Amino acid sequence: MRAALTRPGLCRVEQIMGTTITLDLADDLPPERLRGLADDVFAWMREVDARFSTYRSDSEVCRFDRGEVLLSEASADLRFVLEACADLWGDTDGFFDAYATGRLDPSGFVKGWAAQVASDRLLAAGAGNHCVNAGGDVRVRGLSPSGEPWRIGIRHPWDAMAACLVLTGTDLAVATSGVYERGRHVLDPRRGTPAGGLRSVTVVGTDLGLADAYATAALAMGVTGIGWLDRLNGHTHAVVTDDARQYHSANLPATD
Amino acid sequence: MRRAFLAITGLAASTTALVVLKGSPDATQVAQNLPTAQPVNPSGPGTDPSLAPDAPGVDPAGAAPKPSGSAEVSTSPKPGRTTARPSGTKTTAKAPSAPKTTTKAPQPTTRRVTGPPVDTSGRYGAVQVQIVISGTRIVDAIALSLPSGDESDIHSADVRSSYDGSGGEVVKKQNANLNTVSGATSTSNAYKQSLRAAIEQAF
Repeated sequence: MRAALTRPGLCRVEQIMGTTITLDLADDLPPERLRGLADDVFAWMREVDARFSTYRSDSEVCRFDRGEVLLSEASADLRFVLEACADLWGDTDGFFDAYATGRLDPSGFVKGWAAQVASDRLLAAGAGNHCVNAGGDVRVRGLSPSGEPWRIGIRHPWDAMAACLVLTGTDLAVATSGVYERGRHVLDPRRGTPAGGLRSVTVVGTDLGLADAYATAALAMGVTGIGWLDRLNGHTHAVVTDDARQYHSANLPATD
Repeated sequence: MRRAFLAITGLAASTTALVVLKGSPDATQVAQNLPTAQPVNPSGPGTDPSLAPDAPGVDPAGAAPKPSGSAEVSTSPKPGRTTARPSGTKTTAKAPSAPKTTTKAPQPTTRRVTGPPVDTSGRYGAVQVQIVISGTRIVDAIALSLPSGDESDIHSADVRSSYDGSGGEVVKKQNANLNTVSGATSTSNAYKQSLRAAIEQAF
């Protein structure tokens, strides 16, 4: 019904946390309001990067890891993340391990969690139709600019320009962990060797931090991760194995 | 611009058609497509402007010759021109459209500039980016090569038979309209370096 040449809302892309953050606001709000909301989202993302980056020696995570900051002195955000990582370690039989590399690295949770918080804040601020994509971890709410539910492609593991599945929904957290971009960077924490068997794991839920961590954990489990995902309550999944087979939950919100 | 132009040519063509067909009752059908036929017709029957396209033709249908006569009065200058117009308007109508397409066609001279392959710490291969430039704008950035990891062979038979989900089919490609894509983090630094180099080469 809308004019084809214009769309409501705003779309902005920035490079933060060593990755690309894309914000798509679909609410028909005044331009100044949209810019203010986008400014807040990216300011939050930069704040998270400054606090949690393992590449910045002056980040709170690095200072905490070196013992320069005590838990009692840590920020509320850091304490929340540490607690979440401890819970996830238990929930994933140790396969999500923020200390897998020998030092504290909660990145497998932080990226999704940061995008989730940004999305929660947008919703609270009255912008209930949006899509936050933090380096391939996606949180969508409401409707897309076309007025239809969001359509989220899952990247094809062997073709960066294609999708292997399309999901659709109005309230989804979609996190994908794969070995096709950074090689086998996820270690099996029990063997200390790179995880094998799975090419790509996508977890769909409503909390992007959890979905991100579960996807990373299942990738580390290898083929047994498929059965583990199948028993995971409140989440659906899609997995591509190294031999190019695809497995997914029966109730995955997939579409054509 | 194009729409306005089409509207004007459409108007010109259909008014001539209207005038040519004015004698026949079918002329009302032609008028239905004409927004500008409204100001002409309401003057006669004086019905709702919203219903104008139909009304003027339908209402006076009982006295068919009269409305056509009244329409003739208002458009009376036109018939004189119509004999000249059909050829005149058509040629002038087509003439401007031709240069438009010819002026637009040469503009998008796209060229492609390829950045150098940038190694991703040696282990997973190289990243190489190509940009497509139209005029002075970058219209596309293509990753020519992306890193790949070692593949270990596993067989789908290894997957537990107790699995509730569907699967086992070979992964397919879908190219649907997407709002966003979920995928593993890219090696953004190598990508950025190659992209930047391509941009620097291009401008």
